Amino acid sequence: MSRQSDWRYTFLSVAFLGFGLLVVAQVVRFQFLPEAQLIANLADERAGEDVVLYPARGQIYDRWGHLLAGNKTVYEVGVNLKDVVDPRAIALTVSAVLDLDYDQVYQRASVEYDPNEAVYIKFADFVPADKALLLQELVARQHAEAEDNPDSGPISLSGLTFREHLGRSYPEDDLAANVLGFVSQDGQGYFGVEEYYDDLLTGTPLSIWLPSDPNRVEELPEIPPGDSLILTIDREIQASVEAILDQAVEDTGARTGVVIVMDPVTGEIYAMATTPRVDLNEYFRYTEVYPEKTPFNQAISKAYEPGSVFKILTMAAALDADAVEPDTPFLDTGSIEVGGIIIHNWNNAAWGPQDMQGCLQHSLNVCLAWVSTELGVEKFYDYMDNFGIGHLTGIDLAGEVYGRLKTPTDSDWYPADLGANSFGQGVAVTPIQMLMAASAIINDGKMVTPHVLKALISDGTQYNIPYQYVSTPISAETAQVLNQMLTSVVQADDSLAYVAGYQLAGKTGTAQIPAEEGGYKQDVTNTSFIGWGPVDDPQFLVYVWLEEPSSSIWGSLVAAPVFADVVERLVVLLDLPPDVIRLSMLEQ
Amino acid sequence: MKRSQNFVQAYRQAPWRKQLQLIGLFLASVVLVAVVAGIYLNVSARAGEAGRQIQVMYSEIQVAQQINEDKESQLAQLTSASTMEKRARELGFAPVDKDLVLYLDVPEYQGRPSVALAPPPGGVSASEPTLPYEYTSSLFDWAGQVFGVLARELGISATSGSR
Repeated sequence: MSRQSDWRYTFLSVAFLGFGLLVVAQVVRFQFLPEAQLIANLADERAGEDVVLYPARGQIYDRWGHLLAGNKTVYEVGVNLKDVVDPRAIALTVSAVLDLDYDQVYQRASVEYDPNEAVYIKFADFVPADKALLLQELVARQHAEAEDNPDSGPISLSGLTFREHLGRSYPEDDLAANVLGFVSQDGQGYFGVEEYYDDLLTGTPLSIWLPSDPNRVEELPEIPPGDSLILTIDREIQASVEAILDQAVEDTGARTGVVIVMDPVTGEIYAMATTPRVDLNEYFRYTEVYPEKTPFNQAISKAYEPGSVFKILTMAAALDADAVEPDTPFLDTGSIEVGGIIIHNWNNAAWGPQDMQGCLQHSLNVCLAWVSTELGVEKFYDYMDNFGIGHLTGIDLAGEVYGRLKTPTDSDWYPADLGANSFGQGVAVTPIQMLMAASAIINDGKMVTPHVLKALISDGTQYNIPYQYVSTPISAETAQVLNQMLTSVVQADDSLAYVAGYQLAGKTGTAQIPAEEGGYKQDVTNTSFIGWGPVDDPQFLVYVWLEEPSSSIWGSLVAAPVFADVVERLVVLLDLPPDVIRLSMLEQ
Repeated sequence: MKRSQNFVQAYRQAPWRKQLQLIGLFLASVVLVAVVAGIYLNVSARAGEAGRQIQVMYSEIQVAQQINEDKESQLAQLTSASTMEKRARELGFAPVDKDLVLYLDVPEYQGRPSVALAPPPGGVSASEPTLPYEYTSSLFDWAGQVFGVLARELGISATSGSR
């Protein structure tokens, strides 16, 4: 090798070494630049994104597996400002299809693109699939036309974007709306089961970092959907009861109405119908549908003075405490003084010699007021407390209220209250409280907790929910005796609650309504009926409440026929043959 | 002879031969690096593609779940109480009156069973994968099994030996 070539080799080696060192120096310099942190942050931002994965909300079924609340695809419609070409065309199309205000949409679509301030603007969320697909079709058609005719210019709807996600869906519209409640656009459950079991239905959202680099993709964690619920509600019974109630409210001119059907042994609610009801798919019309002060679910959220249906509790307490017997005589003179107040019968008449059976049969206020005095103040209120009056029943629905039972320890209680309370005035109860208290009479003294959750599906496993007894306010003997007394009330020839072929028990109720300015309203009442059957093997317990009917003020004329209508449907839907056939089958 | 030895020595000591060796070594290392880089690129590209496929599949799963939820809601709407009642009425059906129902005594009939949308706790899922024996047995187990089969075929057994 010549000296000349040695020199060349040395030069090249030094040049390559110098270049390499420069590269290394530049790399090191980048690490200490003032913008180094900015560059690192930019790299981090582009490396992936933090994503919150929301599990699908759990579904709600009726007792036979019919879907009452599910999920459906809805769309968020917005615009990428960078791609907007013709804000007028966008505003015209979007406002027409989505029924939005043109000026508002135009104003939003006209916002100037700014990578740091304004990139994307939302027009509407929870847009139904049919409307979003119509918009998508219009955009796709423009794209197709632009491909066929490249000289036609830019696409006028360019920039419109659609993001699909799940929204709540109620396939049965307003069926059992008061039981289900609804989910708002922010994913929060309101009223009914949706609110009470919101945590279970929602599931647990999970925050993860999703890398953009496919080499760094990792297995996504399993996100179980929210728990699904199987309710005790029977869709067919609910639909039938709602139809009967709607008709009754229309026929009687009642302001509102409630009908509850419960299994008296297990406390399972088969149906809970109220008026009015809102189509849950349009829950935002809530304020239009419900008049002022009307709660979403009156069956649990509105306490009222129940009137004579309350007499069954007074009589149960008196019988259980041996204050009276079914054949205890009572001379009804048409009035009685309790605590300085004179009490009269519903027709202001004197009914003469009666026994306890007659007192219930004719719903005599004077007699029941006397019974309460025989029982005594302390025992009366102890029994009412044990029946759960003034307490929450614990039903698994959001929005239950306590009602009000004044007791001698309250400052606003007067001795006269005892007489009024004995026949259901001066005491405020919810229909569900009355139902729970009456379950003790049907159930050998045991009071059952009303509930709407039959089973829970969590992580692919179904957990059936057992029923619970609250307490035993009266003895089994008392319950049986009262059952027989109340059977006679319904089986009377003139009772409109009578259903041929079935032995039923029950009691009507007519109550005056307190006025806000004090005293009671004139000419308007709350009418109620509580009844159950078949008496020897109770399968259903029904409560009817019609508020301020205009056709008649009497529960025996307004609420009792509704009870009969409900029972006529129930015996078919529950496969309950007439007593004669059922007993002959049992004998075989 | 001496002449040929001189030729070999001259060949070994030729400067271009040493250069050739150096170049060969350099080229060999370049080829090695290229092969390693190629393998790395190939593997990382395949891993990247697999990662992208996984991302796409996750997205497809989400879409499928969404469609499934959609279909369930649509089906529920088509079979809702009001729709079914309307269809039944259009077909000439009417709600049965209680007096028209004919009751039959069916022995052993327990009534309509409660709905079960998922297995109860403790139940074994039918779709639970079970590993076949080949995946869980040891070599020793396998050998024992083979010898057992051979022994049976040859008629050798502990009981036959005791006769």
